[in-house]
Amino acid sequence: MPSSATLDEAMMRRPEQVMRLDRMGSSFPTRLSFMRGLIRRMSKEQWKFEKLRQDIDENGYGVSVYAAHTPKRTYSLVAFTQDIPADMRTDRVIAEVWDATFNLFDGVPTQDDIDYLAKNTPKQEGGRFRPSELSLARANKSLRLFEHIVSSLSEGKQPDVDLVASVGYIMRTTAVYGSGKFGCADRAKIAEREECKVSFHMELLAVYLIRWFTIDVVETIAKQRGGDRAVSLEPHIRQFIGVGNSTGLGMAPFLLKHPVLIHNWVSAKETALARVRSLETPIKGSLEAFTHSVRQVAQHLKEWRVADEIQSARIEQLEGEVAELSSWCDDESNLVKPYPWNGIYQFAENSFSLECQEMVVSLVIEPHGALVDDLADTMFSTTAPQFEASMSLTRLKTIVKDYYAWATSIDFSLGESQHHFWYYSEDKLEPRFGSKGVDDGVDQEMPLAISRDANDLNEQLKTASDDITVGEFALQYPQFRHIIRRIQNTALRPYAEVQDNLLGETMRPLDLLRFKLAFFGASKFDPKSDLWTRISMYQGAPMPDQLSDSSHDDWTFPIRPQSAL
Amino acid sequence: MPDQLTISLNEILFIFTRAGFGVNAPIGISEDFARSNMWLAENGFDPSLCSVSALDSLDEGKSSLVIEQTEDGFSGSNSQYLSALQASVSVLDRVKGKQSVELTIANVDSPLLVVAALGANQVEGWKVCWCDEVGANFQVNFMANGQWHIISDGLGVIELSKGATMQVSLLGDTDVALEGNIQRLDSKVEKTKILQTGIAVHEHWNAIYAYFSRCLVKSTAESRASGAGAGLVDTD
Repeated sequence: MPSSATLDEAMMRRPEQVMRLDRMGSSFPTRLSFMRGLIRRMSKEQWKFEKLRQDIDENGYGVSVYAAHTPKRTYSLVAFTQDIPADMRTDRVIAEVWDATFNLFDGVPTQDDIDYLAKNTPKQEGGRFRPSELSLARANKSLRLFEHIVSSLSEGKQPDVDLVASVGYIMRTTAVYGSGKFGCADRAKIAEREECKVSFHMELLAVYLIRWFTIDVVETIAKQRGGDRAVSLEPHIRQFIGVGNSTGLGMAPFLLKHPVLIHNWVSAKETALARVRSLETPIKGSLEAFTHSVRQVAQHLKEWRVADEIQSARIEQLEGEVAELSSWCDDESNLVKPYPWNGIYQFAENSFSLECQEMVVSLVIEPHGALVDDLADTMFSTTAPQFEASMSLTRLKTIVKDYYAWATSIDFSLGESQHHFWYYSEDKLEPRFGSKGVDDGVDQEMPLAISRDANDLNEQLKTASDDITVGEFALQYPQFRHIIRRIQNTALRPYAEVQDNLLGETMRPLDLLRFKLAFFGASKFDPKSDLWTRISMYQGAPMPDQLSDSSHDDWTFPIRPQSAL
Repeated sequence: MPDQLTISLNEILFIFTRAGFGVNAPIGISEDFARSNMWLAENGFDPSLCSVSALDSLDEGKSSLVIEQTEDGFSGSNSQYLSALQASVSVLDRVKGKQSVELTIANVDSPLLVVAALGANQVEGWKVCWCDEVGANFQVNFMANGQWHIISDGLGVIELSKGATMQVSLLGDTDVALEGNIQRLDSKVEKTKILQTGIAVHEHWNAIYAYFSRCLVKSTAESRASGAGAGLVDTD
């Protein structure tokens, strides 16, 4: 009988299966996603939340400060709100004004700090920040929902849940920066703090506080407008309101520039799936929880409505497949047998679309917190890539052959293989995805052509002697230093690379965005083109006053408030 | 731009990598160049001071990335300085590979960048000595746990030192240091400070940013309209 570790390993999905754009672009959040992990930490450590300041006028314009007190330190969201011209409200990076702008401050800001930020935060990329600022963000209102909620509450009524469900958020963020951007704190400043170790936890804490802020602002304006008649949001409606987000190409370079980190994220998720599939006997109650969640997800899918034709068709197919899965689960003989989770996964893999397969991955991991939650703490990296000059060239050739066949097999002599290029625009450094022969900037291409560079290296290696070191080779061919370093550092990290051609004519950056956003814990992907998407964050998550509830971790695939159905 | 700007280590990594690329250094070498500059910043130096000289020199053709292996080290072409961007990675590769215990590198344009490459890669137990083109002498000793010393004869400023033939060798227990001013540094202590304060850069930052800007593509009405993200006006 194989050991459990061997069995887990055998159940791991292969990188060439997992790290393909079409599957990555079908990702869903799991219980390991960063928002989920952060909420669990808040609950477990009994973080306290406090509104420290709210100086806003009858329209909600002014400054507010909201604090999260962890066992060891305090983090504060400093929020500035202002009136902006309607014709300047855009979600693009190149925007100049926003309804609300934010910093996550390390500690509690003094008046001097707030005065400094008041001069800089509303300018966003045009401002300068300090190591006391951990994050910089901005958001625009959903005009129809913002006003609808304010007027409803001010008249003593709850908002129309259909409208709340159709939008999902009061404001949507259009960028959340961290890690040293525009002078903010470097990650190294906070990387050793337990609450900051996992990727993006501070940025997502900022978003969590922004969500609280948006709800608090509409309730405050409603109270000012309606006086005694005004009411607050019902808790179940409040919980269903998330924070929107518009995400464009900025995320794509990040994924490609941090291969070790990406390996750690994917490895955690795949290990979780393998552990579950390796269970010979289900943990008590887990199968029941799973079948319940399959039914709930069917409702979630009904509420996930998008204008994008491709995604709409995928959701429609997914609805049918989830119904089929539900029927299959109703037949006891399919579940009451050894290794039931592997059986469920295999059934999905053999029968359904990638979108459904990845949803099933999320659903089978979900009831296994005790088995997998430790993996969430491994989703970070402190490794700086090293160039190993003393490696023999023979060894490098072997690594390229064994681990980069997906790249070296691409025919880059074809125009379609090098159709696109990535570049930074001088417009606020907005990342863009150009087409050769159409757009300027090929000479300033970002170094993200991993497969092409590996391919070129492979060709050069064929002509090089086996008797030299990598250092000697790089002295002769310095143009390959970056790709050699990358290959040396990813060889033993099989999930590090997107195993597809990112320059190809059919490449959709959207797939990269969804993959990363799913790791964040985002839901309701709403593609607006191949280049950008809207999403919801924290929809269904507990509010600060609900973190001690026993159900604080039960918010995957949220559905509209039950009482309103 | 104000006389002084405070930036982060991440900004140094981003800007300097592309600044190197902006003077046509290969991207891999530019990555090392940026990490060297991060190390300088972590130790309290304004990294733009010595790097702008190295970038200017490459850009103006006074320095070259062409490097030759010699019997005991490296040299560049006769008529140009050897660019520190290339010299630093070449020395680093030798030192990390422990292929040589003594190296001589001739006519390096900005020797502090070679030192920085070694420091950024946590080299211990080595020393670097040089005499530059104005006759100023420097010695840098790398000890354990991120501690390092700069010893100078006081005739020059290390960030501005130029045109040096450098010796890199193992630091022996009985080594007699160059006599002169000793500056003792502890990378870990200095980095902790910098993470709280940020890195102050001064008048040369603009020039670094100008090299970086060469990697940016001019925006046109078409590229603006086809960029990722929402429309130019967006409501819901």
